[in-house]
Amino acid sequence: MKYIPFFGCMMTTKYPWFEASVRKTVARVGMELVDVDGFTCCPDPIYFQARNKMDWYTVAARNLTLAEDLGHDIITTCSGCTATLSEVNLALKEDNDLKDQVNSRLKKIGREFKGSINVWHAVKVLRDDFGMDRIEATVKRPLEGLKVAVHYGCHLLKPSRVMRVDDPDHPTILENMLRAIGATPIHHEKTLLCCGRACMSEDIPNQMVADILDNIKSHQADCMGLICPTCFDEFDVGQIILGRKLKRSFDVPVIYYFQLLGLAQGMDMKEVGLHMHKVKVDHLLDMVAV
Amino acid sequence: MHTQEKHKIDFSFREKLNGIAEGYRHNFCYQCGACVADCPAGMYSDHFNPRLILLKALLGFEDELIRPDSEIWDCTNCYTCAERCPQDVRPVDVIIALKNLCVRTGNAPELILKTSDPVLTSGITTKITSVVDRRRQEMGLAPVGTYPVDELKKITEGD
Repeated sequence: MKYIPFFGCMMTTKYPWFEASVRKTVARVGMELVDVDGFTCCPDPIYFQARNKMDWYTVAARNLTLAEDLGHDIITTCSGCTATLSEVNLALKEDNDLKDQVNSRLKKIGREFKGSINVWHAVKVLRDDFGMDRIEATVKRPLEGLKVAVHYGCHLLKPSRVMRVDDPDHPTILENMLRAIGATPIHHEKTLLCCGRACMSEDIPNQMVADILDNIKSHQADCMGLICPTCFDEFDVGQIILGRKLKRSFDVPVIYYFQLLGLAQGMDMKEVGLHMHKVKVDHLLDMVAV
Repeated sequence: MHTQEKHKIDFSFREKLNGIAEGYRHNFCYQCGACVADCPAGMYSDHFNPRLILLKALLGFEDELIRPDSEIWDCTNCYTCAERCPQDVRPVDVIIALKNLCVRTGNAPELILKTSDPVLTSGITTKITSVVDRRRQEMGLAPVGTYPVDELKKITEGD
């Protein structure tokens, strides 16, 4: 089946090893990616949406029309892109007045939003269109013994009316996807807590990040597993910066799900870019015998 | 509300908020407080309370809400309040409408424009440096393409 990947700004420029991990791993599961030229920032659901919501709808709609031209659904690999593209896609499908307003703007560049495709996070498509068996079948080296503390982030699940992935209070999708590659998912008290990135004040996200990392440590998890580059930014480099501020170290390695999938499929550390992380992960790789 | 100062109730603020996308939703709020308990910004601070933000909007306490240091900027955009709300107010969407009103009236924190400007001037939020394509090449990826900034200019000049 064919899908159009939307990698967004963070992965394209700052964390290209996540993009590489997605491309390599989903191909093995059987997902065919069709690239589209001309995508811009989704645009981001925090700052750009706060600036002007009509501009936010319109820029997102422009991106959606590029995928509509090819007639395949979009897969997102960042929770921020998911938040914007899924929400705008549904809002324009449901609200004809809004669609007309946006289309009158898009007309200036010869485009029109039709509402003919869907947008889903890649993990949802893997679960629903391919299934855990297909993921499991690609595993060459199960990550046995690796305890992964699950971090959902907000927009894989919420708003649930838009995302339609799982119960937002009792989700299981990421736990099941980790089990499919042989890892042990750890669901801790702060598994569903936000990373705090959108907050203007520093104090609130700092406390959230510290709380999440401390919870993970208290469960003796080996690493944190997540599905969003913005959450990753907050917990990887963010944990180093916060550690300096608090004069303590957390030492919780943070790994993007598709990197773990790549390891399980037999890829080495460099192929999935694990050597680029700020919080070192080398000791974990001994565990999973890479 | 937590202060002893007197505030003037101004229902005309509702009209202002109604004019912003999704802003009209504040009218449905009956102050039940379902949005409060699981709000992460509320959990980790003593000043953030989505119910009170909605109440201030309903009563028209514009001077408290529409300013660069307003509590609205501490919303984490997590949408938990939208899950909990029985009235489909989606407090987070009202907060975003309040933020739009701040930007429109020149009352937004500098960071908002600084972070969102690059979308319109370069097509993306992050910076494209010489390191980016080198790293992409190392990972076997194609270089970053060009971004159609001229198109974005045309479709965002509507206001």
